[in-house]
Amino acid sequence: MSDSETYDVPDGFYFTKDHEWLKQSGSNFMVGITDYAAKMLNDIVYVNLPKEGDTLKQKEVFGQVESVKTVSDLYMPVSGSIIKTNSKLTQTPELVSNSPYSEGWMLEISATNYSSESSDLLDANAYRKFISSLKDTE
Amino acid sequence: MARKSHLYEYHRVHGKITEFSGFDMPLWYKGIIDEHLAVRNAAGLFDVSHMGRIWITGKGATEFLSYVLPTNASSIKDGRAFYSTICNHDGGIIDDIIVDRFSNDRYLVIVNAGNREKDFQWLRGKTESYEVHLEDFSDSSALVAFQGPLAAPLLQQITNIDLKDVRRFGFSEGLVAGEKSLIARTGYTGEDGFEITIFDTPLAKPDRALKVWNDILNIGASHGVLPCGLGARDSLRLEAGMCLYGQDIDDNTTPVEAGLSYVVSDDKRNFIGKQKIAAQLKSGTEKKRMAFSMIGVGIPRHGFPITFSGKSVGSVTSGTFSPILKKGIGMGYVPTPLAELGRTISIDIRGSEKSAQLVTPPFYDTSIYGFKRKVSAQI
Repeated sequence: MSDSETYDVPDGFYFTKDHEWLKQSGSNFMVGITDYAAKMLNDIVYVNLPKEGDTLKQKEVFGQVESVKTVSDLYMPVSGSIIKTNSKLTQTPELVSNSPYSEGWMLEISATNYSSESSDLLDANAYRKFISSLKDTE
Repeated sequence: MARKSHLYEYHRVHGKITEFSGFDMPLWYKGIIDEHLAVRNAAGLFDVSHMGRIWITGKGATEFLSYVLPTNASSIKDGRAFYSTICNHDGGIIDDIIVDRFSNDRYLVIVNAGNREKDFQWLRGKTESYEVHLEDFSDSSALVAFQGPLAAPLLQQITNIDLKDVRRFGFSEGLVAGEKSLIARTGYTGEDGFEITIFDTPLAKPDRALKVWNDILNIGASHGVLPCGLGARDSLRLEAGMCLYGQDIDDNTTPVEAGLSYVVSDDKRNFIGKQKIAAQLKSGTEKKRMAFSMIGVGIPRHGFPITFSGKSVGSVTSGTFSPILKKGIGMGYVPTPLAELGRTISIDIRGSEKSAQLVTPPFYDTSIYGFKRKVSAQI
């Protein structure tokens, strides 16, 4: 793969080492996967999300994203209950590849333990450094 | 340190590299779906040089092959290729192969990359009472597959072989992009296409292979031709209903169970595995490989249980998302009494049962896609 491949990492978002992002939205948080993750998966053909009302702990599996060849688990960036899931992803999973930070959002959650768990998250700069280090070992 | 194919320099620059059977190979270049659709709608080019190529020559070559394979090689005409399986003494499949018969004394055998050494050792161990010579020439030759409805008209532009004389499963020697090659009208996609062996192109200096590769991509560029990786190779062969060794067939499956009985010639000759295979042809098998198409959402994957009436009856051997059908498809072994076309079964996808229907492959509409399509593509 070309060395000049760049990945979109927007400021103001928070990230996990499993390539999920978290962004505050009013009193809730939006969750999705990063541009890096979407590009690694290439063609996303199916997204499996939890049910509204489910409560999950930080790092617990909340669903899967599938490409033609692979299935990848998705992990909660912080503990919370599922307020809404993006129903558009059933018909158009490509939204995750094309627009991972906006139209490809996956969950809206109400965080239950944010103040103590937020320190586990990476800010944009730290995430950029992290994915750089991954590229070096590819 | 993984091995490299003759075309690694191209893959390293343009492809997403993955390790397959000990080789660094491209999983994709542009993307699996784009490459898959290019093959069905135009043409795609695959590097399969990592596969093994063995010359089998000598007065006893035909007799030898007719012993190590269930297929009677003497019933094949010169200039014709055939698909077969190397079986063990219990009828289990050691590898599935393509054999090109040049003459009674000369054959070219193409084996899977992951089985190169295994197959060569097995075959060599069986040569004792035959006047036959085996030569593995995988390193000094390359193999590329050009597959799709536009493969023939495009390839014709750079070969001196008249492709109209090369029928499906036929082959011919000549020049491709000025290089000494063999063109066989065979493939692993279900489309019309060719597998091109390029001679005199050693791994240490693969110039001839790179020339053929690049020339095909150049003439095809304005017609939607794409280089294709192993990802698309897998989704295409599964859509066509073809087996992948190690997933759908292995030492524990016989050709009869796998639905490959056609490789067993009906005659009195002895061959390795005959006892079990003949018994199964006579009395049936306990399980059968069947293809299924998901009814709802969900993608079947290797190892997922196949269930019927709430009980696990088998497991998925291959599963993927079909870019043509836009749904999950797969294959697996099912107990013979349940192996009826049209039957609804379930696939356990991470604890959730999803319905699927047993179907005859290929999965795509053969009047629109595949080598039997009704409308031939124009360039």
